[in-house]
Amino acid sequence: MNATNADSNDAKAHAPAKSEGKGKRNTRKFKVYREDPSDGKGGEYQEFNVEVEIGMVVLDAITYISQRVDPTLAVRWNCKAARCGSCAAEINGVPKLMCKTRVDTIEGTITVGPMRAFPLVKDLVTDVSSNYETEKLMPEFTPKEGMAVPWKMSEMDVTRSQEFRKCIECFLCQDVCHVIRDHNTNYVGPRHVVKAASLDMHPLDTLDRSKLLTEDDGLGYCNVTKCCQEVCPEHIRITDNAIIPEKERAADNFYDPLVRLFRKVSRSGGARGNNNGNSNGKR
Amino acid sequence: MADGQATRTISRLIPSEFLEPNLRLYSFIFLLVIASLAFYLFPVKELNGYIDPFYSPTLLVLPLVGLYRLTCYAYRKDYNRHVFKHPVACPVYERMDSSRRKYSGETSTVFKVENLHRYFLYGAIAILPFFYYDLAISLTYSGGLILRLGSIILAINTVLITLYVFSCHSLRSLIGGRKDCFSCMAGATGRKKVYDVQSVFNSHHEQIAWASLIFIVFTDLYLRALSSGIRIDYVLFHIMRL
Repeated sequence: MNATNADSNDAKAHAPAKSEGKGKRNTRKFKVYREDPSDGKGGEYQEFNVEVEIGMVVLDAITYISQRVDPTLAVRWNCKAARCGSCAAEINGVPKLMCKTRVDTIEGTITVGPMRAFPLVKDLVTDVSSNYETEKLMPEFTPKEGMAVPWKMSEMDVTRSQEFRKCIECFLCQDVCHVIRDHNTNYVGPRHVVKAASLDMHPLDTLDRSKLLTEDDGLGYCNVTKCCQEVCPEHIRITDNAIIPEKERAADNFYDPLVRLFRKVSRSGGARGNNNGNSNGKR
Repeated sequence: MADGQATRTISRLIPSEFLEPNLRLYSFIFLLVIASLAFYLFPVKELNGYIDPFYSPTLLVLPLVGLYRLTCYAYRKDYNRHVFKHPVACPVYERMDSSRRKYSGETSTVFKVENLHRYFLYGAIAILPFFYYDLAISLTYSGGLILRLGSIILAINTVLITLYVFSCHSLRSLIGGRKDCFSCMAGATGRKKVYDVQSVFNSHHEQIAWASLIFIVFTDLYLRALSSGIRIDYVLFHIMRL
């Protein structure tokens, strides 16, 4: 590890594995965002030159910098296997998991910054706790009363909501959402629509959260530009399978006169759509 | 001072999106004007058994078809990104000035129309048989059975439009998207299969939407080329009498 100039830090990154030790090495320039909100000085990008090997991911370089070059660099990570979602960051402007982004897939300087949709804690670490607070407000799973135990579900009915269970809560979708990031609205964001859809599409759930999403959670502000779907590391088809179906259900409830008429006529039959997300009294 | 006031007045009257350099928007408007002139001044409604897709069944349904495409989820993504630039792209460096512009998403009165996409879908499904009728006419107009290059182009166009209509998100919701319990319904397995197959096409809805739009224009241009006297309509086979 040798520093070549006063402004940059050169580092030989730790070889990821002995077997790859003979891999081709080259030095890559990383620009890492540095800011400590408590000192009020604002933030800036600091350059590091890191020697990397084939197969390395961005998190390898960042943890190397934080452990061997500059221990004051704050970075949050846990599993390094794209399962925990902790190392979410903006890499060259695109929200990604650092542990899932190979260095050799990016050309030129690699810029790493925090998720700017959330309050900054320090450097690359942000406070995503507001998402957990929003999640608490979502009406929880509400099964029919008096169902025989154990509950039985058909496989064909659970496959749709199963897709949403893959969510690792990295909140990259929240970060990339321009409505949350650029505009001051009450839209809760893609992650929470996915949560609502996973419950709404559950065969034993009795609520319809699309009403709540429309009236209180700003679903109408989503203009289906699919950025959330593009950045999802779990490849959940957020827009196609969660947001659009919820918008269609909202159209059933608020905009489609025929559906509303049909429901009014068949209300005596106990149509599910009459249930409102507010009914558990959480909001 | 006066200049500043004039600028403010203009920006109040014209949405800021229209004042930004936006080649896609301007080229779309240019094409719209040229196409409108072509349709009304140089109509090619019917030629040797071919009926131009823009006139099928009549030019009067074009607003319905246009609204179906305008409210389509696939096109919404495109014009929200590339016309209104909300956002211009997913990478956050590309956001430009969208945070400083007003944004109401699909909550404004005009954009609430997008919630009626299903009604335009019903209209599109009603129009669909006319394309098959036109294809049948192109194959049989001579009294026998004739297969020409134009009929193949019409056939591809018809298939693409059919795929576009039947891969629609609203149709997906209609088939089963709004149902949480397939197994609770009569014919559960069949309906779930239809839903699953439709979902496969639905996952390619954007590509199909663009392909069908481009092919409609291509078909129109092909028929205009024929009407101008260019001899490219090769006959593959011709059975004189059926």
